[in-house]
Amino acid sequence: MSDNELFSIVGIRENEKTAVSENKRKESFPIISVIVLSVLCLLCLFAGLISTKDPSYLDLLNYNKPPNSEFLFGTDTLGRDIFSCIWHGGRISIFIGFFATAISTFIAIVYGSISGMAPKWLDGILMRFTEILLSVPELLLIIFIQAILGPANVLSISVVIGLTSWCGIAKVVRTEVRQLREAEYVLASRSMGGGFFHLMSQHLAPNFVSSIMFMVVMNIRGAIVAESTLSFMGMGLPLNIVSWGSMLSLAEKALMTKSWWIILIPGAFLVCLLMCVTNIGNYLRKSVNRGESYL
Amino acid sequence: MNYKKSKLLYYGSKLLIFIVSVFVLSLLVFYVSRLAPGDPLLSYYGERVEKMSVEEKNIAREKLGLNEPIYIQYGKWLKGAVQGDFGISYKYKQDVLEVISQRALNTLILGGIGYILIFLGALALGIICAWNEDKWIDKLLCKLGTFSCCIPEFWYSLLLILIFCVSLRWLPSSGAYSIGKSGDIGDRILHLILPMAVVLLNHPWYYGYMVRNKLLDETRADYVLLGKSKGQSKAKIMFAHCLRNIMPSYISLMAISVPHVIGGTYIAETVFAYPGLGTLSYESAKFADYNMLMVLCIMTGIVVIFFNMIGQIINERIDPRIRGMESLEGLEVSES
Repeated sequence: MSDNELFSIVGIRENEKTAVSENKRKESFPIISVIVLSVLCLLCLFAGLISTKDPSYLDLLNYNKPPNSEFLFGTDTLGRDIFSCIWHGGRISIFIGFFATAISTFIAIVYGSISGMAPKWLDGILMRFTEILLSVPELLLIIFIQAILGPANVLSISVVIGLTSWCGIAKVVRTEVRQLREAEYVLASRSMGGGFFHLMSQHLAPNFVSSIMFMVVMNIRGAIVAESTLSFMGMGLPLNIVSWGSMLSLAEKALMTKSWWIILIPGAFLVCLLMCVTNIGNYLRKSVNRGESYL
Repeated sequence: MNYKKSKLLYYGSKLLIFIVSVFVLSLLVFYVSRLAPGDPLLSYYGERVEKMSVEEKNIAREKLGLNEPIYIQYGKWLKGAVQGDFGISYKYKQDVLEVISQRALNTLILGGIGYILIFLGALALGIICAWNEDKWIDKLLCKLGTFSCCIPEFWYSLLLILIFCVSLRWLPSSGAYSIGKSGDIGDRILHLILPMAVVLLNHPWYYGYMVRNKLLDETRADYVLLGKSKGQSKAKIMFAHCLRNIMPSYISLMAISVPHVIGGTYIAETVFAYPGLGTLSYESAKFADYNMLMVLCIMTGIVVIFFNMIGQIINERIDPRIRGMESLEGLEVSES
C-alpha cells in the first residue's frame, strides 16, 4: 500500500454530505405572496378607480350597515364605506411601511458604519446607546416622540417609526463593517484618500446588503404593525386620515354594536399584507443548508 | 488571587455599565417628556384647567415646580429619587410608588406567568418540531407560527373579545375583576384568561422556531452519531444531550426577549383595560403625568437592561471569545 493510499484512510475524514432532498435545499420562491402583495399594492395605488364611494364621505343615513350589495364591506360607525376606505387606507398603511423603513435603514446603515469604523471606545459608547434605546419599549418611545412632533400626520408618523426602529439593523451593520474594515481593498481605498461616504457606498454597503435584507423586510412589517397599533390606540393617525389602523380605532364602538365587519375586514387585509411581507422576508433570509440528521 | 480580582473587575464593570445606562435612560426620558407639549396641569386638575386663568395656571405650575429650567428640575428629581422619593402622581395625587404598587401585582401575574408559559411552550414547540423534522406536524406548526406572528396583538385582542365576549358571552372583556369582587380569585382568573391568551398566542412561536433550528443544528453533530452507535435511544440523545447543549443559548435568548414580552403585555393590558403597569404608562404618557412616567420607564428599563446583561453574561460564559456586547449580536442577527 503506498503512502498516498494510507493517508486517504487515516487522513481528514471527508465531510461527506448526504444528498439533500431537492425541496429542502432552498425555500421555494414565495410566488403566491409576491402575487398577492403586488395585487394589493396595485389595487391600493388605483384606489380612486376601484372605490365605489368617496372614502371621506360620512353617509349619515347608512351608518353601521353590514356588508350588502351597495356597500360591499358595509359601512363603519361614522357612515363611511369600508370598501373604499380599505383601498385608500391601504395606500397610507403601505406607504408608511416603506417610508419608515427607508428612514430607519438609512439611519441604521450610517450609524452602524460609523460605529464599525470608529475606534474601540467610541464604538463602545455608540453601541451602549443603542442598547439603552432598545431597553425602552418601542411603543412608549414612539408615543414620546410623537408627542413632541405634535398631531400626527402620515409623514410625521413615518418619521417617528423610522426613528425608533433602526437599532437592530445598526447592530448587524456594525458587526459586518467591523469584519470588513480589515480587508485590504478597504485599506487601499483609504490610503488613496477615499472618504467615509465613498468607502461606505463603494466598498462596505455592497458587502453587507445581503445580510440586512431580511431585517429590512421585517422592518416594513414592524412599521405597518406599529402604525396600526398606534392609530388603534388613538395616538397615531386621526380618524379623518384613513389607514387600516385608524379604521380599526373605531373597534370599541363596533364591539358595542356587534359590527364584526368593522373589525374583521380591515384586520384581515392587514394580516394578509403582513403575511406576504413575512414570507418574502423569510425567503431572503440566508437559507440554511443542512445535511441529513443523524438522529 | 489574580483570577478573583479579574472576576471582581468583570462584575464591577458590568455594574458600572448598568448604573450608567439607567442614568442616561432617566435623563433621556426626563428631557423628552418635558419637551413634549402635553400639559401636566390637565392631568392634575382635570377638566377644571380650562376654566383657570393664565395667572392661576402660572401659580399652579410654580407650585408643581414646572417653571424652572429642566436641568434644575432633573437635579431635584434625582436628589429625591436617590432618597426613594419619586414625587407624586399628578393624576392620582398619591405617591407614585404607592399607585404603582397597587397595580404592579396585576402586571406581575400577567407578565410573569405569561413569561414562564412562553418559555416552556416555546421549548415544547421547538422539541416537537425538531423531533418530527420535516414531517407534517413540523410543517404545520411552522406555518401556523408564521401566520400567528403576523397578527398584530391588538387585533388578536379584538378578535378574542369579539368571539368570547360579544358573541359567546363567556368571558369578561375588561378589567382585572368584577366590581365588588376584588378578593374573588376565580373571578380574577376569569378576567385573566383573555389577556393571557393574547400574550401566549403571539410569542412562543418565534422562540419555538429558534429552539427548533438550534436543535436541528445539534442533531447534525458527531456526538449524536456516537450516541446512536452505542445504542442510545432517540429520546435519550435528544433530551440528555442535544437539549442540554442548547439550553444556555436558549436561556440567554429568553433573557434578551424580555422587552418583547413586556411590550406585548402592555398592549394586551391596554386593549383589555386591565389595570396594570401597561395601562398606567399609556395613561401617564397620554396625560403627561411626568413623575409616574419617569418611574415606569425606569422600572421597565431596569428590568430590560438587567435581563440583557444576564443574557450577555451567560453568552460570555458559554463562549469566552465573546467579549462585551459582541454577545448580543449573534442573536440579534437572527432575531427580527
